[in-house]
Amino acid sequence: MWRGLWSLVARAARGPCRPCTRQGSGAPAPGSGATIFALSSGQGRCGIAVIRTSGPASGHALRSLTAPRDLPPARRACLRLLTDPRSEEPLDRALVLWFPGPQSFTGEDCAEFHVHGGPAVVSGVLQALGRVPGLRPAEAGEFTRRAFAHGKLSLTEVEGLADLIHAETEAQRRQALRQLDGELGHLCRGWAETLTKALAHVEAYIDFGEDDNLEEGVLERADSQVQELEVALNAHLRDARRGQRLRSGAHVVVTGPPNAGRKPVSIVSPEPGTTRDVLETPVDLAGFPVLLSDTAGLREGEGPVEQEGVRRARERLEQADLILAVLDASDLASPSSCNFLDTVVTSAIAQSHNGNSQRLLLVLNKSDLLLAGDLDLSPELPPHLLLSCLTGEGLDGLLEALRKELTAVCGDPSAGPPLLTRARHQHHLQGCLEALGHYKQAKDVALAAEALRIARGHLACLTSGGGTEEILDIIFRDFCVGK
Amino acid sequence: MFPLRGCGRQIAASFTKRQFPLARFSGDSAAPGIPHFDVVVIGGGHAGTEAAAAAARCGSRTLLLTHRVDTIGQMSCNPSFGGIGKGHLMREVDALDGLCSRICDQSGVHYKVLNRRKGPAVWGLRAQIDRKLYKQNMQKEILNTPLLTVQEGAVEDLILAEPEPGHTGKCRVRGVVLVDGSKVYADSVILTTGTFLRGMIVIGLEMHPAGRLGDQPSIGLAQTLEKLGFVVGRLKTGTPPRIAKESINFSILNKQTPDNPPIPFSFINETVWIKPEDQLPCYLTHTNPRVDEIVLENLHLNSHVKETTRGPRYCPSIESKVLRFPNRVHQVWLEPEGVDSDLIYPQGLSVTLPAELQEKMITCIRGLEKAKMIQPGYGVQYDYLDPRQITPSLETHLVQRLFFAGQINGTTGYEEAAAQGVIAGINASLRVRHKPPFVVSRTEGYIGVLIDDLTTLGTNEPYRMFTSRAEFRLSLRPDNADSRLTFRGYNEAGCVSQQRYERASWMKSSIQECISMLKSIEFSSSKWKKLIPEASISTDKSVPVRALDVLKYEEVDMELLAKAIPEPLKKYTECRELAERLKIEATYESVLFHQQQEIKNIQRDEALQLPKDLDYLTLRGVSLSSEVREKLHFSRPQTIGAASRIPGVTPAAVINLLRFVRTAQQRPVAATESPKTGQCLCDTEKLEEQQL
Repeated sequence: MWRGLWSLVARAARGPCRPCTRQGSGAPAPGSGATIFALSSGQGRCGIAVIRTSGPASGHALRSLTAPRDLPPARRACLRLLTDPRSEEPLDRALVLWFPGPQSFTGEDCAEFHVHGGPAVVSGVLQALGRVPGLRPAEAGEFTRRAFAHGKLSLTEVEGLADLIHAETEAQRRQALRQLDGELGHLCRGWAETLTKALAHVEAYIDFGEDDNLEEGVLERADSQVQELEVALNAHLRDARRGQRLRSGAHVVVTGPPNAGRKPVSIVSPEPGTTRDVLETPVDLAGFPVLLSDTAGLREGEGPVEQEGVRRARERLEQADLILAVLDASDLASPSSCNFLDTVVTSAIAQSHNGNSQRLLLVLNKSDLLLAGDLDLSPELPPHLLLSCLTGEGLDGLLEALRKELTAVCGDPSAGPPLLTRARHQHHLQGCLEALGHYKQAKDVALAAEALRIARGHLACLTSGGGTEEILDIIFRDFCVGK
Repeated sequence: MFPLRGCGRQIAASFTKRQFPLARFSGDSAAPGIPHFDVVVIGGGHAGTEAAAAAARCGSRTLLLTHRVDTIGQMSCNPSFGGIGKGHLMREVDALDGLCSRICDQSGVHYKVLNRRKGPAVWGLRAQIDRKLYKQNMQKEILNTPLLTVQEGAVEDLILAEPEPGHTGKCRVRGVVLVDGSKVYADSVILTTGTFLRGMIVIGLEMHPAGRLGDQPSIGLAQTLEKLGFVVGRLKTGTPPRIAKESINFSILNKQTPDNPPIPFSFINETVWIKPEDQLPCYLTHTNPRVDEIVLENLHLNSHVKETTRGPRYCPSIESKVLRFPNRVHQVWLEPEGVDSDLIYPQGLSVTLPAELQEKMITCIRGLEKAKMIQPGYGVQYDYLDPRQITPSLETHLVQRLFFAGQINGTTGYEEAAAQGVIAGINASLRVRHKPPFVVSRTEGYIGVLIDDLTTLGTNEPYRMFTSRAEFRLSLRPDNADSRLTFRGYNEAGCVSQQRYERASWMKSSIQECISMLKSIEFSSSKWKKLIPEASISTDKSVPVRALDVLKYEEVDMELLAKAIPEPLKKYTECRELAERLKIEATYESVLFHQQQEIKNIQRDEALQLPKDLDYLTLRGVSLSSEVREKLHFSRPQTIGAASRIPGVTPAAVINLLRFVRTAQQRPVAATESPKTGQCLCDTEKLEEQQL
């Protein structure tokens, strides 16, 4: 977004783009009037994390998260229960501070939330702030820039500003790059491409549609591209679990045929239990918050109680982020093992190949009972880990594998600021989606194109590019225009 | 009499009406007897005529130097003006009291607004123009402009002098030397030489030097500019053959009828000269595979196509269309060249094949089977000067008081040229009077987008205006160009007539008055539904609805609204233009609110001026990479906003620049180097205070 000098610095984070083009106009509360928020303490795991806001909506944000309480007295730390204003879900018990402008760091109204430093809590508070109207994630160096703009920094302090901005934009750029390598980045780039093409075609229709012979149906194609994009974005945003994993933890489900020895659960779960029913325990697994469930042995029939257990177990399996499937290594040929392999393991693996984000770890327990060469008899077994609960052999391997899988599911909390960028992602994707809605409603093509420009500006904040030249390149590539 | 020792005829417009202060000729370095003007414009094309007229309107004694007076106002390519984006430029030229819109209203033969169904922000005013009439009317206008003198002559060299302190540039232009060795002194010089700088015409394998078919190129001037250190590039363009009208079988072709009534280009005209029913039609035909064959079989006879020089992507020759989009049928518009012209211009058939092959190609097109080619199409290759070497006021960085406008800056199109001409004329005149430059921001007009793109990004193909280049397209509309530019033109440049100023003021205040009226009229949606049953007003909301919101409905216009509420709305429907503009304002109201906010942010950056005389290569006390230094040195941005738009200038560099400017302000030594610098720093300071 072209937010004037004080947002120019954000450009670097997005890589090269033709800068005269505004990115994402009309995003909620643009310009210096917007209220920004960011995690201002260090990234990663720490005892206390400080989240700051600056701008006119700071007071509103503070009240929204601490409802029904009033603003605390100025510049005095108060303990408050933070709740998500939309879901009313409690987030954390935190110290909050209220700094009415101009006596604040930036000179604007500011609020600070000192929350418990776990990634789940921080992510939850950032997301809740992102949902308060008028708030958006801060661009790199934006707090400092605002302070500078309001004369809160001396000239010597300003000297460090450029360096700071450079460092922050670098960090953001690296972060963006890291993310761009991942699945999400891939998605975003794909969306941006679709959108740019749709916009280029609408622009071509405006600039050349009348006099030149554009092929028929240029607008209709743009419409269907926008439609597709809307569906994809909606699906992505509806997948709230993605955002919640770090807050409430990833769902890990342990399952297997009866008597396969799902005991490794006890390694991480302090609570023993009957496995007649689904048992849920929040645990810290390899540094990740995890909601661990153990399901009843999957066996059909045999009484109403067991049947109910099996039904619940199946439901759990469907919702799982990670399935820990446990089989008896010495009993692979038994009907119950074979049935389990066919129904649960194979289908989960097949689904993950189809782009389903659900993951599965196959563990063969009781490896101490195996004789050398036994496993060669079943070469069609999917990738698996060997474990002996009796001897403890393979336990480290299992923990390491779990850590890897959870990293994939939750994102690595030690690798930079995924929390912040997650809030940014959500903000811009939501903004993009809103703009696409305006596109569909617009009767005037100029207004429709404006909506697409805004939508593209939002995506450009997540990827890069977004220049006019890119549009013209597509126009001249796709159409023979001009006389 | 005024002693003009020109090398040709001299035509002094309102010559006898004026009294020249003779004292000017005995000025510092001017030898007595050598003519001296405030502004000299070289070139009588679309940029030159606008520049000369604008400078004269601003009160400068101006000389227009041209090869031949009878080519003034010549439309050397297409017989049309305007279009999408280009029509926007024409409205802005008109808002500054420029000529081309008014001349088009006197010379058009087929007026048609493009994009009628696509929303008023992208309407494209366009007309087929009678070449002869345009030339006649333009010459009449130019030759009757007070303070403007016209002289025939080819300029060979520039007269240069020591630079003025306080401005960038290694020297200052003092006048020009003509081919015959005679001199004319000038306080500002505007170069609008179009394709004449080392112009080369290409047909087939033949190439010969010419600026336009039948006209000599400027070679001496090109050498002078190169010697001064200007970075020169090469571009190419082309024009189609002309066909005898009576040899075309129009009866089998699609006919395009013009608008009835025609919409005038100029804000001050309510109608155009021609009766709607007297307008001429255009016809549409298409190429076919046989055309492709002829092109492809004869590529070896076509040196223009083979050259690597960049041509425009959007106005390609038929050869590039065939090469880039094979197996496609392309449109050919058959356009009239004028009321009594025997020629037809086949728009879309720009070609550089040898003449006999052009004729062969033409005759295999439907409707043109028996067509007679009167003049072959040809290509032009020419020098342009990298526009990053000029400021947004179009003055060069290298030579003080030398201005460039038009195709010389790498643009294409009459309208792009005219737009630059007006700005160069105004600024050349302001410069002479030591007044601050008149710069149109990209938030204010397409003229601003055009000049900002050129001066900050440069161009490597002929630059043409598109609406997609304008970020603030919904604000920069053809209908409101006067409210964006006329007042500035009147107050800051003095280039706008009293009559136009008053009309624009009346329009602006009427719109404001009526909009606030429309905001204040509120009824429930069910009442609106009863008042205006024609409109599909949604009744799902219980809040009162403003009249302005009702006007947003597609099927509602001021007429309908005033019928429902005659008092007080009736009076706003009496002027058709006013009623239409109110409807447009309503259509975009909600989006414009957001856009205004953004525009303010950009304007804030543009108010942060950088000292003009900074030497970025040696500047100490500011941390900039050598790459950034070079970019800043080459483009010499005038504001923080412009600096930030230069590709490769990092945000950190921008902050560093800003810090430098603020630090320098605290060290008076740096500021006293030039009075200009001091002023810039004050502006910066004022702005910072406003932000507090």
